[in-house]
Amino acid sequence: MCIYEDQIGKFDWRQTYVGRIKFSQFDTVSTAKKLIVATEENVLAALHLKTGQIVWRHVFESASSGNIQLLHVSDKVVTVTGSNPYLVRGWDSSTGVLIWEWSLTLQDNDHAEFSEWWVQHGLLVHMLPIFNSHIEVTMYNLMSGQNRGATSKLPAPWVNEGCVLTPPYYTCVSGNMGEQRLLTVDVTSNAVQIINKPLFDYISLDVFDGNMRPLDANSALPGFIIDEKKVLLIKNNDFEQLNIDIVGASVSATIIEGPSEQILLQAWDDKTMGFSLIAHSVSTGKEVPEIKCSDRDHRIPDPELAAVMCTKTAREQHACRILINGADDAIHFVQQAGRVLWTREESLANVVAVEFVDLPVSETDAAIESEFDQKEGSIWAAFTRRLQSQFQQLQTLLHGLQHADRAVASSNTNDLVRDYFNLHKVIVLVTEVGKIIGMDNLSGEVLWRRYEPSLSTASLAVFTRRTARHPPLDAYLTIVGTHEETGNGLIISLNPISGELVGERSLQLDGRLLQCAMLHRADEEKLHGLVVLYEDETIQVFPVSSAPLVEDMYMYVAEPETAYVRGYALRYDGKEARAQAIWSLRLGGAGPGSPGHRIVHAAARARLERTHSPGRALADRSVLYKYNNPNLVLFLTEGPDPVHKEVVRAVAVDVASGAVAAAGSHRRARAAPHHQAVHADHCLAYLYRSEKHRRFEIASMELYEGKERWLPAGAAFSSFASERAPAVERQAYIVPAAVTAAAVTVTERSLTDRHVLLALSTGAVVEVPWAFLDPRRPLAPTAEQREEGLLPYAPELPLPADAVLNYNRTLHRVRALHTHPAGIESTSLVLATGLDLFYTRVAPSKTFDLLKDDFDYHLISIVLVALVVASYGTKHFASRKMLKMAWK
Amino acid sequence: MSSVEDEAGNSRYVIEGRVFPPENQVLSNWQVETRIHVNGGEYIGFIKEDGSFAVHNVPTGSHVVEVVHPDYMYEPVRVEINSKGKYRARRVNYIQTSQVIQVPYPLRMKALSKFRYFQIREQWRLTDFLFNPMVIMMILPLLLIMVLPKMMNDPETKEDLKQITNLAKMSEMPEMSEVITNLFSGGATAKASNSKAKQIKKRQ
Repeated sequence: MCIYEDQIGKFDWRQTYVGRIKFSQFDTVSTAKKLIVATEENVLAALHLKTGQIVWRHVFESASSGNIQLLHVSDKVVTVTGSNPYLVRGWDSSTGVLIWEWSLTLQDNDHAEFSEWWVQHGLLVHMLPIFNSHIEVTMYNLMSGQNRGATSKLPAPWVNEGCVLTPPYYTCVSGNMGEQRLLTVDVTSNAVQIINKPLFDYISLDVFDGNMRPLDANSALPGFIIDEKKVLLIKNNDFEQLNIDIVGASVSATIIEGPSEQILLQAWDDKTMGFSLIAHSVSTGKEVPEIKCSDRDHRIPDPELAAVMCTKTAREQHACRILINGADDAIHFVQQAGRVLWTREESLANVVAVEFVDLPVSETDAAIESEFDQKEGSIWAAFTRRLQSQFQQLQTLLHGLQHADRAVASSNTNDLVRDYFNLHKVIVLVTEVGKIIGMDNLSGEVLWRRYEPSLSTASLAVFTRRTARHPPLDAYLTIVGTHEETGNGLIISLNPISGELVGERSLQLDGRLLQCAMLHRADEEKLHGLVVLYEDETIQVFPVSSAPLVEDMYMYVAEPETAYVRGYALRYDGKEARAQAIWSLRLGGAGPGSPGHRIVHAAARARLERTHSPGRALADRSVLYKYNNPNLVLFLTEGPDPVHKEVVRAVAVDVASGAVAAAGSHRRARAAPHHQAVHADHCLAYLYRSEKHRRFEIASMELYEGKERWLPAGAAFSSFASERAPAVERQAYIVPAAVTAAAVTVTERSLTDRHVLLALSTGAVVEVPWAFLDPRRPLAPTAEQREEGLLPYAPELPLPADAVLNYNRTLHRVRALHTHPAGIESTSLVLATGLDLFYTRVAPSKTFDLLKDDFDYHLISIVLVALVVASYGTKHFASRKMLKMAWK
Repeated sequence: MSSVEDEAGNSRYVIEGRVFPPENQVLSNWQVETRIHVNGGEYIGFIKEDGSFAVHNVPTGSHVVEVVHPDYMYEPVRVEINSKGKYRARRVNYIQTSQVIQVPYPLRMKALSKFRYFQIREQWRLTDFLFNPMVIMMILPLLLIMVLPKMMNDPETKEDLKQITNLAKMSEMPEMSEVITNLFSGGATAKASNSKAKQIKKRQ
C-alpha cells in the first residue's frame, strides 16, 4: 500500500500544468530569465525559458474569487485577482514569494465586472467605464493601496460596449451609422484631452461593422486594429495609421520594441502554408527579413502572440523569443525563424474524459496466435508452422539480446505492444477545448494529438468498441459529444493507438442526443455497435448492420436539473431498432412538494468490472451472498428541504427495471460538486458535507441477498426476475479532510481487496481500504466478528501519510480519479486528472502475483550455486572418507 | 492593522496568522510551497517571507484553516468569526464538534512533524542474513558435514550419536537414518548391529 523511498518515480509520474494562458510577460529583470504567466485556470506561474518547465507556481481559488484580472511584470510581479472584492498582490519574480497584498472593494458592485486594470508609473490604475455616461478612474499606491487621489470622473457619453483599452488610452467608435467618429482619451492625464476624429479618415465607412481590437501581447505602442485591415496607433495626441497591411482577418499582431527600431509582428495560421510569421519595421514599413517563418508541418489553430522579446546578439540582428498561444490551449515558444524551442500541452489541465486502451500484441505473438487459429492442414503442416514460429521467437530473442544495451524504450509506435502483464496501455484523454490526446501510460509521453474544434465537451462519452485483441483488426474508439454550434450529436471514431480517424470518422448527427450506449454483442468484425437515442426517442445504430444485434438492451436518461430519470427498452423488430419508454422515476420526490432537487452524480459500475466472488464467508462458515446486480446505478441528489434546510439523497436504482434497491437520505447536508460517489460490486459509497457538523462524511452501503442464494449458482442475474429487495447494511464515517474526487480500484477479476481512493483538497490522493468503510464494522466486535476480520467501529476514517499515493508531489484541484485493471489480478492503474496529471499503479492486496521489485536475484543465485558446489564437495569428501575407512 | 477590511460594508474579514517553518530545517523557498487553505481551498492565503499570512475577504461563520505543505504536517485550526466581528480560534475536532479548546488568535501555526510517506527499507544486518531460511539451508548441512565427523572422533559423543541414530531408526525416520548410514557405511554397519543388540538387551 505504500512505497519505498527508492521507488519514487518508478511506477508513477506527475505532469504539472498551468492552464490556458490569459496573460504572459517576460521577466527580464531577475538574473534567471523567465516567463511569467497567468492563466484562465487562476494560476500564476513562472516558466523556465529554456525548457518551459515550471519554476514556481501559485494556484488561486478556482471560483471567481481567484480570477486573475491583471498581470504586470516589472521588478516585481503584480497581480490583481478576484471579482469585487479584489486582491492586489506583489510577488518576488525570482522566488515567487509574496511581498505585499491588499484588498480592494468597489462600492459599485453592478458595474465592477467591466473594470479595467493596469499599472502606470508605479500606480495601480483602475478604470470603470459606465456606458453612455462617464468613465471613473482611480489610482492607488501599488504597494500599500493608499488612494492617491479621489476617484476622478470623466464625462464620456460616447462610451459603449465596443470600446477598446490600450493603456492609458480608451478608444471608442461612436455616433450614428454613416457619421461615426473615433474618440480616444488618455484617462490618466490630468488635463482631459479627447482626440475626436471622423472614422471616414481611416476606413471606408460602408463596410465598417464596429470591429475593433487592441494589439496583442503588451504592445510597445498603444494601438488597435480596426476592421481587421488597418492598424491605428495613438501618437502625439493623434491617430496615426500604419502603412502596413494586416495579412488577414484572424491575424494576431503586436508592436515590439526591437533592438534598433519598433517592429510590427504578425502571426497567423495559413490554410496551405501552415503557421506563418511576418515582421515589418514600424517607421519604414519594410519587411524585417530575419523574422519570418511559414512552416507547413507546424499547425497552430488561431495562433495568438502572447509575449514577444527581441534582442540583438553578436551574430544576428534580431534574436526573438515568441510565445504563441493556440486555440487548442497549447503554448509554443518559438524563435524568430520559427524553430520551436518548447511546447506545453496546456489543454491537459482540463481533462473531461479518460479511457485506458489495451495495446495490440507484438507481431511475433500475433503470429503464434494465428498459428493456433489455422485448424486446417495436415500434422506435418502444423509441425512446420510450429517450427517456423519457434525459429522466429529465437530470432527475436537473439535480436533483443544484441540490442539490449540500447533497448531503453524509445517510444515510437513500433514499441507500442502489449507487455506480459498488460501494464502498458494507451490513455486517451479528451480535453475541454476539444483536443483528443493519446498518451503512453508508462512514460506519460504524448503519442498523438488531434484537435476537434467542433467538439463541445459539456457531456461526453467514450467507448472502446474494439480492443486491440483481434489482429489484424485495429482497436476502435468512439467519442460521442455534441457539436459546438448546432448542439447536435457528434461522433468521432479513431484508432486509439495511432490517433487516426477510422470508421464513422467525424460524423455530425441530425439531432440532439439523449443517451448513447455500446451493444453487448460484437459483430463479425468484433466491433461493438454504438446505439444513440435522440431527443425524439428514436434510435440509431452504428454501423447499421449491427441493428439486429439490439436485443435485451436497456437505457436510462437522467435529467440532472429536475432529478427525473426515465428508462427505455430497446428492441429490434425485424426492420429497425426501436426504443420504448418503460419506467420513470422522480428522485426528488413526487409532486411539487420538493422541487429543486437535482442529480449531482450518477455512479454505475465500471464497465470492465467482472465479479468472481458471489459472497462473503462468515465466521460460522456460512456465506453471506452479495446482491450482485450489474444494472444498479447510484444516484446522488441534492435539494432544499422545508425543515432541514437541505438534504442529500442517495438512491440505488436498477436502471433496467426501474426498481429502487436501496436509498438513504442525509439532513442538513450538501453534496460535493465533483465525482464523489463510487460503486463497485455490491458496495456503494458517497461523500457529502454535513452542514450541521461542518465536516465531510462518507456513507457506505453494502447490498446482500442474505444467507441463501436467490438464484442457482452460475445463473445470470436478471433485473426482471427478482422481485425481492436486497438487505442493506449502511454506515457513515467522518472524513477529516475536504475531498475533491473519489474512485475505487478495479482489478481484472475483482478478487483483490477493494480500496477507495480519495483526492483531498490539500493535494494528496489517499488510499483507504474498503475494510475501513465496511458498513458491518461493529461497535464491540465479538470473537466471531474478529475472526471474520471486521475492524471495530471508529467514527473517523484514518488518512495516514503512508497511504498517500502521490507522496509529496502535490496535485492541485484533482477533479477526477480514473482506475483501470491491469493484466495481473493484484494491480490497478490509477490516473488522477485536474490541474495536474498523476499516474501510478496500486496493489490493494500487495503484489501477490509478482515478485517484489527488490527481489534479491543475486542472493538466490549465490545460494543455488553454493548448494550445488557443496553437494559435489561433500560427495567428494564422503568418497574419500569411505576409502580411508575401507583401508582401516 | 484593523482586522476588518477598509471597505467592510459587506462585512468581510481577514484571518491572520503566522506559519513557523519546521525548526532546525533550512528549507529553501518554503514560503512558496506552503499554502493556507480555508475550508478546503474555498479561500487561499499565501505566505510572506517572514511566515506571516492573511486570508482576505472571509465572511462571518466558522472556517477551518489548514496549512498545507507537501512535507510537513500542521494542525488545522477552526476560526469562528461572529456577526460582530469577534474572532475565536479553537482546535478542530470533527468527532465532538461542540468541544472548545481555544488556541491563540492571530494564529501561530507550528509544524508538527514530517510526513512519513515511505516505508523504510530493511537495513542489511548480519543476524537477518544468518537467519534467512536460504542461508540456514546452506549453513546447516555444512555444519552437519564438517562438524559432526569431528565430533565423531570423541568416543563418548560417538557413542551418544550412535544411540541417537539408532533411536531415530527405531522411531522410523527413514530420511535421516538413510542419509547417515549412507554417509558412514562401511565399518559402521557391524558396530551398528552390535549396539542394536545391546539395546535390545537393555530393554530386556
